Amino acid sequence: MNNLRVFFAGGLTSYRALFNWLNPWAFLSILVAYPVFQTMYFVYLGRAADTANDTFFLVGNAFVAAAVAGMFGMGQSIGGERRYQTLPTLLASPASRLALFLGRALPAIVNGFVVAALSYTLAALMIHLHIAAGRLAGIAVALLASCFACAGLGLCIGSLAFRTRSISLFADTLSGVFLIVTGANVPLARLPDGLQVLANYIPLTHGIRAARALAAGGTLHDALGAVGKEALIGAVYFTIGVAMLRYFERSARRAGSLDRF
Amino acid sequence: MIRAFASGLRVDLLQLIRTPFDMVGMLVWPLVFASIAYLLLGHASGERALFTASLGAAVMIMWGWVILGAGFALDTQREQGTLELVVGAPTPLVVLVSPVMISRAVFGVYGLLLTLLWGRLVFGIPVLIDDWPAFIAAGVGCILAIGTLGLIAASTFVLYRAAFYLGISLQYPVYIACGLILPFSVLPGWLRPISWLLAPTWGFRALREAASAQAPWPDIGMCFGLSVVYIAIAIPCLAVFEHLARDRATLKLA
Repeated sequence: MNNLRVFFAGGLTSYRALFNWLNPWAFLSILVAYPVFQTMYFVYLGRAADTANDTFFLVGNAFVAAAVAGMFGMGQSIGGERRYQTLPTLLASPASRLALFLGRALPAIVNGFVVAALSYTLAALMIHLHIAAGRLAGIAVALLASCFACAGLGLCIGSLAFRTRSISLFADTLSGVFLIVTGANVPLARLPDGLQVLANYIPLTHGIRAARALAAGGTLHDALGAVGKEALIGAVYFTIGVAMLRYFERSARRAGSLDRF
Repeated sequence: MIRAFASGLRVDLLQLIRTPFDMVGMLVWPLVFASIAYLLLGHASGERALFTASLGAAVMIMWGWVILGAGFALDTQREQGTLELVVGAPTPLVVLVSPVMISRAVFGVYGLLLTLLWGRLVFGIPVLIDDWPAFIAAGVGCILAIGTLGLIAASTFVLYRAAFYLGISLQYPVYIACGLILPFSVLPGWLRPISWLLAPTWGFRALREAASAQAPWPDIGMCFGLSVVYIAIAIPCLAVFEHLARDRATLKLA
């Protein structure tokens, strides 16, 4: 019961701390305006290059918005503890580590989903693109799998907060790389062979593939394989993230570096 | 005042090259933008078009770093409690804030060089600069104009406690409005007049025209002219927003 309380209450408090919720401007600036304009930029670039249609970029960038929210949100929810020097206090508590840190994943997943949905809706309105309502449920399932996978990667990034002062460096670099390697803005067939192989093992790629197939009129049944792969990738990253947390916590305790900032 | 400006420029540049986030970010983002453009446009569009995309990516990152830097620098001062000291110093605020913007625009040269190197080594795009003196003048004009435009944004950030977040959200709207890598033919017509007011439009045009030796001097002139206009706007704006921040006692609110 206590673990559940830590999971939910801790996760929610950590999420609120991310944006210093005294006013909503921080949220609106980076999680609404930024992804919408990013999507618009790549839609226009796609039109100029005549490589793919607007839906290709709309779906790709909505998923990237979810990834950015997941990776930064999850990463920062642990990195922020170090920045504000509350990490030693947190780790000194007898609470379950799993409940503590996985509790931070739930808001990151929900947040990523909401951000992607907002970004998708607003950008679609701006470019007058309509996708049949019946297809949206399937796309939402693919999006949920991607949000889960990105939160898993975010947990890995967040665990680095035990070792480094700024996790933003990793989250920022990955969010840039994801614009290309996941196929969000470049058809995968145009990527070098090595990157095409890598794309299969990172979050987003399969989710985006499934969502595009669904947006084009495919059925959820056909897309389930890709959605399953995305969820599996998420589970693997969560497992790695938990292992990294344990390892880095132990080594940080040994080195006495937890509150060094 | 000159000493304060030069010293601010030196300190901020030193900070930039010692910060992993800035060094790695400046390595990654121009390459990401340029690579997407190369991969979407493809070699069929010609070497000149791809080289122009490299210039566009460099100007994008120059603006990105200036606008992020404007927010980040003020947020950091606010968080560390030194913004009040900066505002309270007898040196005019514009002299203390402008080095941050200019140094970040100068830092964009690192992004430009990396983009050209990346294009050359990975995508086989030759460096096609036909008029070097004009290209260097265009680079200086571009840095100055983008840096001073950032100064106007910074003036509002003195008041705004989530300046960094606002800075993040102002990146892509300017990329779009200025037609960076994008041709204006795919953009809504009403954006064209807005683009004329924004420094990255002229900076990109100046670099592009200088690279292809196509009468770049009017665009370079626009960069320098706009810089003067931006400074003329930024000085009273900074004064007004500084007064408002003092009046509302928000300088210390992190």
